[in-house]
Amino acid sequence: MFRGALWLLAGRGCVGRGLSTRSGGSTPDWTEKVSEIKKKIQSALPGGAWDPLYDTSHLPPEHSDVVIVGGGVLGLSVAYWLKRLEKPRGAIRVLVVDRDHTYSRASTGLSVGGIRQQFSLPENIQLSLFSVDFLRNINEYLAVVDDPPLDVQFNPSGYLLLASEKGAAIMENNVKVQRQEGAKVCLMSPEQLQNKFPWINTDGVALASYGLEGEGWFDPWCLLQGLRRKIQSLGVFFCQGEVTRFSTSSSRMQTSGGKEMTLKRIHEVHVKMDHSLEYQPVECALVINAAGAWSGQVAELAGIGKGPPGTLEGTKLPVEPRKRYVYFWHCPEGPGLETPFMADTSGAYFRREGLGHNYLGGCSPTEEEEPDPGNLEVDHDFFQDKVWPHLAHRVPAFQSLKVRSAWAGYYDYNTFDQNGVVGPHPLVVNMYFATGFSGHGLQQAPAVGRAVAEMVLKGQFQTIDLSSLLFSRFYLGEKVEERNII
Amino acid sequence: MLKIIIPTIMLIPLTWLSKSNMMWINSTIYSLMISMVCLPLMNQPCDNSLNLSMLFFSDSLSTPLLMLTTWLLPLMIIASQYHMTKEPLARKKLYITMMILLQIFLIMTFSATELIMFYILFEATLVPTLIIITRWGGQTERLNAGIYFLFYTLAGSLPLLVALTYTQTTLGSLNMLLTQYLTERLTHVWGDSLLWLAFMLAFMVKMPLYGLHLWLPKAHVEAPIAGSMVLAAILLKLGGYGMLRITMMLNPTVNFMAYPFMMLSMWGMVMTSSICLRQTDLKSLIAYSSVSHMALVIMAILIQSPWSFMGATALMIAHGLTSSLLFCLANSNYERTHSRTMILVRGLQMILPLMAAWWLLASLTNLALPPSINLIGELFVTVSMFSWSNFSIILLGINITITALYTLYMLIMTQRGKYTYHIHNIKPSYTRENTLMLLHLTPLLLLMINPKIILGTMY
Repeated sequence: MFRGALWLLAGRGCVGRGLSTRSGGSTPDWTEKVSEIKKKIQSALPGGAWDPLYDTSHLPPEHSDVVIVGGGVLGLSVAYWLKRLEKPRGAIRVLVVDRDHTYSRASTGLSVGGIRQQFSLPENIQLSLFSVDFLRNINEYLAVVDDPPLDVQFNPSGYLLLASEKGAAIMENNVKVQRQEGAKVCLMSPEQLQNKFPWINTDGVALASYGLEGEGWFDPWCLLQGLRRKIQSLGVFFCQGEVTRFSTSSSRMQTSGGKEMTLKRIHEVHVKMDHSLEYQPVECALVINAAGAWSGQVAELAGIGKGPPGTLEGTKLPVEPRKRYVYFWHCPEGPGLETPFMADTSGAYFRREGLGHNYLGGCSPTEEEEPDPGNLEVDHDFFQDKVWPHLAHRVPAFQSLKVRSAWAGYYDYNTFDQNGVVGPHPLVVNMYFATGFSGHGLQQAPAVGRAVAEMVLKGQFQTIDLSSLLFSRFYLGEKVEERNII
Repeated sequence: MLKIIIPTIMLIPLTWLSKSNMMWINSTIYSLMISMVCLPLMNQPCDNSLNLSMLFFSDSLSTPLLMLTTWLLPLMIIASQYHMTKEPLARKKLYITMMILLQIFLIMTFSATELIMFYILFEATLVPTLIIITRWGGQTERLNAGIYFLFYTLAGSLPLLVALTYTQTTLGSLNMLLTQYLTERLTHVWGDSLLWLAFMLAFMVKMPLYGLHLWLPKAHVEAPIAGSMVLAAILLKLGGYGMLRITMMLNPTVNFMAYPFMMLSMWGMVMTSSICLRQTDLKSLIAYSSVSHMALVIMAILIQSPWSFMGATALMIAHGLTSSLLFCLANSNYERTHSRTMILVRGLQMILPLMAAWWLLASLTNLALPPSINLIGELFVTVSMFSWSNFSIILLGINITITALYTLYMLIMTQRGKYTYHIHNIKPSYTRENTLMLLHLTPLLLLMINPKIILGTMY
């Protein structure tokens, strides 16, 4: 603008000296600039295209104390317990970021929804015990003023695990541990089994363990919605977006042994909106990785696993998505209301669904037959070849059944030892994990949420000690294996 | 006075023409030198004021405030260095320019002779502050904060403009030195009461008085560190200074008009202290504690006794330094963990012990530990309030207790206890930060030796 004015003055001087017409002089330049300014003003008026103060309500806030990556049941549980255990109310700002607000591929909604205490690891048993208590008293935990109470449709029908000769000793051991922790499980011989459940064919069964209390199945979607409703009432922000980047800063520090390590801190989380390049950097103090099957990718964004293999820097988060199929069939002669969630010696499982002789079931494939987790397409041949024969053998009534539908979901499968990862990462100091539960995440979600919230707020696990499930076990090679994987 | 104002104006070309690596250093060092130049003003030869020109004067009330203002600019510049690192160079220079501009207006305000000039500059200080808050603040709420700040103060000061022009036309002059000797006194009629209200409202909003204090927590929390520092340390004192000057000419209406504001201040002081106990956001806690301390100053000014004026002046200086120090400490936390919530950042004493020492000293001065100048201020105010009304001691005692409670709460939450896991790799304290804290504490502690220079006109 100033240049235009100077040109104009210079131009006037030239005209005064009697020069001929200028070509490409300042005057057309000046009007061009004026029309540019006019266009800008016009577009700034309402209805124009250029809007400096545009609507950002779909973006997450610019600052949040805790960012929870992943809005499934584990993420929401962590958010709930953070809000519940914070000492002065309303202290922490929590943001839950989820990529898909329809939860179409989330493990929570696609889960079969069983809950059991029949694990071999004491921590798992304790987690499930608390979760059952949570589900039983869900309306005391998740009640919202003026909203109807939740009905999580908990069917306490128990789990029935069958063991062949080979596995009988392990099962007895497991039951001893479970009883020590306070689970109510009974061991049954094949005759007792036949007596109790006449529809079972006890051929090949040496021992069975049956959960008497606190086991069964429930509606995972109801739990998810209940948690979501409650934490919205507690003031947690929800945002739909994908985490694409963590802005970190590193510092080199020395351990007491003199070894130099690079510790990182996450300062900002870049949340990208759906179907656009727009992103919002959210400034945060803590990040909780509850991204389920995709936790491994989120961890890689933070630089976990980028280093020479065998070192702590190079230890990746070994969680990857594994596809599992669930089939829904109808069998008019099938077992009745007292049917527990039965897991056969071969690994096939089923449970009753509803009151019309409908059943849900499936089987975990072996390592060689792992389906490609790229999509959620169902392989019906898998049922025909791998699941049905075992089911039909175990429950003769299932020889004639009609598959009504099927779906596939992901396990956030921990390839190291199939148990969850909880707690902070040793090097990326403000990232906490709550993931990797490989199929039993839903049933332990309330308890895991509480454990992570305690770790964040108080620095240590207070109610259930999950220090054996910390990240460092991947580096130290200490497997915490669970022998009852369904 | 020009020997202070001209160099401060020249700081602006200094900033714009400095090389990028010398910009911060230049502005800090030269503004420190300007504050040294201010020191000779402390040599007040007589009970009256030092009349430097037709426009500017300084007396024992405005000099400590002037010293505080000039001392604070280098501190603001030091404090802003970290969070401005990512900005482009021109914007950094603009930020420093805003601070310098604010400084110029403040220096002229505190040394103004004519009340209209005081008013104009009083309003002018709003603009750079607003720009600092809304442009460089941290979160989206800063727009709301800026609007609250601007409109509360503007709306409060418009009646002041009317009152000042009316007084100018009736009286003939608004020279502060002359109005002290006013013989026409105000009466108890409605018109004069409204005139009194018009005069005082602007400063009440600025202090802030309890019922009009909504802008303060917002503005302090959303402002960047330099904005918070200057708001807490100086801008609040503008209100106090204005009230001290204007009450000279408003007798004796003050005696009965003061009652509602005394009530509000006394109640507000206890209320805001109690709110501090429940705050989760560190900056918000410090902001509310500012309201509480300033309520004491308002009460002291309204009862108009020599002891209370001394206490008010001492409290203003002491609180300015303490509050600014606390904001700097809170900012050093925020820069490391990006969170202002107290429960997420605990047990810092283990990790940053020197910073813990500064926190301790800041907290001790905030709760008016003897023999700090905060205590002198509070004690003088308390004693004079007791002689004004015996029952006020109850509320004042409760306030002093609650102040101690929330200050210790803040200290223990942030420093003591087991540290939270995720802070164990925060960067250690920079020398710059330690310098900043030391530069705050040094005047605060040194003034303990000779507090009479901050006791104002009544000493």
